[in-house]
Parts: sequence; structure tokens; C-alpha cells
Amino acid sequence: MENDGKRRAFLKVLGLGSVTLGTAGYSVVSEAGKTEKKPHYGMIFDQNKCVGCTDCEVACRKVNAVPEGQVRLYVENKTDPETPMEKRYVRVSCQQCEDAPCVAVCPSKACHRDAKTGIVTMNPDDCIACKYCVVACPYDVRFINHKTKAAENCNFCLNTNFAKGKEPACVEACKYKALVFGDLNDEASYINQILHVKDSVRMKPTFGTKPSLRYIPVVKAGV
Amino acid sequence: MNGAINFTYGFSHGVEWGWPIAVYLLLAGISGGALIVALLVRFYKKQQVDTPLLKAASLVSFVTIAFGMVFLVGDLEKPLYFWKILIHYNFSSVMSIGVMAISIYIPLTLVMCLYLFEKEISVILAKKSKLVGYFAMVMSILTRFRPLVEVLSVVFAVVICAYTGFLISVLVRFPILNTAILPALFVVSGLSAGTASAGMVASWFFKEDAHSSDMKTLHVIEWPIMAVEIMLIAMLFVSLLVGNEFQQTTTVAFQSGVYANLFWFGVMGLGFGLPLVLNFALGKHVAHSQMAFYLSGMASVLGVLCLRMFIIYAGQTFGV
Repeated sequence: MENDGKRRAFLKVLGLGSVTLGTAGYSVVSEAGKTEKKPHYGMIFDQNKCVGCTDCEVACRKVNAVPEGQVRLYVENKTDPETPMEKRYVRVSCQQCEDAPCVAVCPSKACHRDAKTGIVTMNPDDCIACKYCVVACPYDVRFINHKTKAAENCNFCLNTNFAKGKEPACVEACKYKALVFGDLNDEASYINQILHVKDSVRMKPTFGTKPSLRYIPVVKAGV
Repeated sequence: MNGAINFTYGFSHGVEWGWPIAVYLLLAGISGGALIVALLVRFYKKQQVDTPLLKAASLVSFVTIAFGMVFLVGDLEKPLYFWKILIHYNFSSVMSIGVMAISIYIPLTLVMCLYLFEKEISVILAKKSKLVGYFAMVMSILTRFRPLVEVLSVVFAVVICAYTGFLISVLVRFPILNTAILPALFVVSGLSAGTASAGMVASWFFKEDAHSSDMKTLHVIEWPIMAVEIMLIAMLFVSLLVGNEFQQTTTVAFQSGVYANLFWFGVMGLGFGLPLVLNFALGKHVAHSQMAFYLSGMASVLGVLCLRMFIIYAGQTFGV
């Protein structure tokens, strides 16, 4: 037991050292971040909370004036027919990829990344409706709006709610708080607090487009 | 935990790029292929005179690419806004790069036509004496650049054929399209359709003798081209067959359903089978007949159309 003192001292040094280095590292990061860190908006869909009421769909269509029969956001029922009581719903919408194929292939730069927010969005006036972005999207979540004759995607209500400083329509409409919107580059944001404590996945990550939507799947361990 | 959650619903419905794009891909292939073959024959044989084959190929390449533009622009939902591509170039888009290549290639084919139909145009313009003077002046300048224009024409003809392949091979959602073989297949099938078209036009409109040196050359090269085409299609199929689960499910397109019929009867039967039977199976009498020449030429072109249709439709039907 004579080693006890030495070990305690060693642990003290180790603890103090990591605290000092950790804070030093953090201060360096935060200083650099202050000058150049742009926002990176993302969204969480929590499958555990979604009941499939489709209030989000309705709100999205209303706020963004999506024509009848078309959607920017769809709630797909993926319940296994074998277990009909265990409901599974999934949000289908633009995944807001960091390496977005739609932006890469658009020949008229109508589909672009908003300079200020970094959100993938559309300039309908420049769109020639060649449908290249529609077929290039790995998630098949783009469409040609019947009214504007321009391609369209979920842009987190950039031109509607976001412009007014509000949360996206779907997030506002969700009674069960299954949707969380926020800045992934802001360490203190609520979306990051959730991502720190919950397991989440990206949809079809093998395409390598780095989607900004995160899904928290139902993982039922049993009683 | 990946795979714990997934969605299969999509916002596009069915085939977004339909038959006009397939027809455009065929026309671009014919245009490029005809010019490549005719000019390579000219370079290889060191021809100085304007042969009926080169006349036919120049005319075919200009007319087909011009018609191709009609289909390409016509497929846009906002065709009158096509000029937006020209003022907002996106260098990461294969479509933008393609449009850039086309806007160089079309003038090249036009100039090739001017070289080869200089006499004919002069005769027409002679009725208006002023215009013929201007035309002669323009041609005297253009003729100085003819060797350069011919080389550039070959280069851009290859670019046009290849870009149509890259255009759709970047679509990662579709395993049949997202392959490295597609651009090569489009170049080779373009050569096949271009050879047949240029040969038929040379013989029909420019009275090229069926047994002339150039026609014999075309007749010799069309079979290796076809062999390479069949090989590339087989490679495409095998790469899907031995690929991941998504790639494997697409092989159904070759095995059953309407696309399999299109492939086996259209691409294989009409495109490869009929010309082979007409030329090798029915004896020399049939093989040397005029009827067999035109029939097998048209079968080749229609076969390539079927191939483009198959790639476009089956390709977009089987997504990940």
C-alpha cells in the first residue's frame, strides 16, 4: 500500500493536465470559430416521438405554397406488417447534403447553397427544369413544382419562416417534438445537446454526400 | 445502427428523363460517330479529294446534332429559358461542360459542311451575284484552317459521344447508369450507328459505289466495332451481376419484363443479329445486294436507338 500516495499524485497530475490542455484546446477552437465559423443548419427526426399525424406535411404545404398533389416533406409509414402495433414513421425530405449532388449538377446554378446560411435552396427564376438535379439526388427528394415549373426541395423554410426568424413550419407544427432544427456548428445549440446524448444516424451514408439530417431510430430492447 | 431506419418513398415518379433524351443520345452518337469514322478514314488513307463518304458524314453530323438540340431543349419543362445555361456556367456540371462542347462542335460541323458543299452552295448563291462574292471571300479564309478544323472535329466528336455517357453515369442513384463503362459504350455504339448512317447517306444521296474503297473500309471496320460494343455490354452486365445487392437486383432488367424484350429483341436481335445474318448467313448473293446493305444499316441504327432507350428507361427504373 506504499504505492498509494504515488498513484494518487500521478492521478492528480493527470487530471490537472487534461483539464488544462482541454480548456486550452477549447479556447483555441472557440477563438478560431468566432472569426470564420459559418452556420451549418441541420435537423433531427426522432422516430421514437413521431406518431405519423402528418401535421408537419400540412404545415409545410401551407407555408411554402406547395401545389396540390406534391410535397416537400412526406411522412412514410414503414411499420413492419408482421408487428402492426409497433408503428414506425420516417420523415422523407431533402437531406441538406454538405456535398450536394443537386448543386454540383445544376447547369444554370439555380440550385445553389445560400451564401449566408449554407442551406441548399433554389432560385426558381434561373431553373430551366432540365430535371438533372431530380435524377442526380441520391435520396429522390426533389421534384418539379407544377406551378412554378422549377425544381424544388425542403430548404428549412428559408424564404418563409426562416426569413421571419421563426422555426421551420414542420418543427412548429409538431405536437410531439419529434423534430429539432438548429445550427450544428453552435456547440451550445439544443440540437447539439441532443446529439451529444442520443444515438443518431444519417440516411444512406454510403453515398458520401454528408447529409445534415439526423435520424434517431426506434431501437426496442424489450422489457 | 445504420439500416435501423430507412425510407423508400421518392418524390420523382417513374422515369424523369424519357424518350426525347434517348433520341438525343442516339442523334449525338450518330453525329459524333459518323464524323470520327469519315475523318479517320481520310487521315489514314491520306485523302486529298472530297470523298462522297466525307460529304455524307459532314451532312449527317450537322443535321443529327441540330435535330438532337430540338429534342434536348424540347425535353426541358421551360424550353424558352435554355439560354440560362449559357450565362450561368457551372463547371462542376457535366451538362454545362457538354453544352460548352456542343457550342464548339456544332459550328465545327457546320464549317465541315461548308468545305464539302462549297460548290453546291456557290451554285445556289450564284443567282444572287452579291452573296456569292461574300461566300467566296469567307471560304478563302476558312479553307486556310481546314486541317485544323478537321482535327478539332474529330476531338470534339469524341467529346460529344463521351459526354453523353458521363452525363448519365454521374447519377449515383441508378446502378445501371452509374458505371465507368457507360461513356465507353456510348462512344463505341455511336461509332456503330455513325458508320451505318454515313454509309447509307453516301450511297443513297452521293451515289457512292457499293464496292468503292471507302465503302469496303466501312464494311471491314463495322464488325470489330460491333464486337467491342457487345463486349462492353457484357462487361456492364457482369459488373452488375457480381456487384452489391442493389446492383444485383438491376440484372432483372436483362432477364424479364418489357425492358428485357427491348434488350434482347431490339439491341441484340435487331442491332446485332439482323446485320450478322444478312451479311454472313444467307450467302454472298444476299450479302452483296443493295437491299441487305440498307436493311442492315437501318437495323444497326435502330439497334443503337434500342440500346439508348434500354439504358435510359431500365436505368431509371431500378434505383437504390
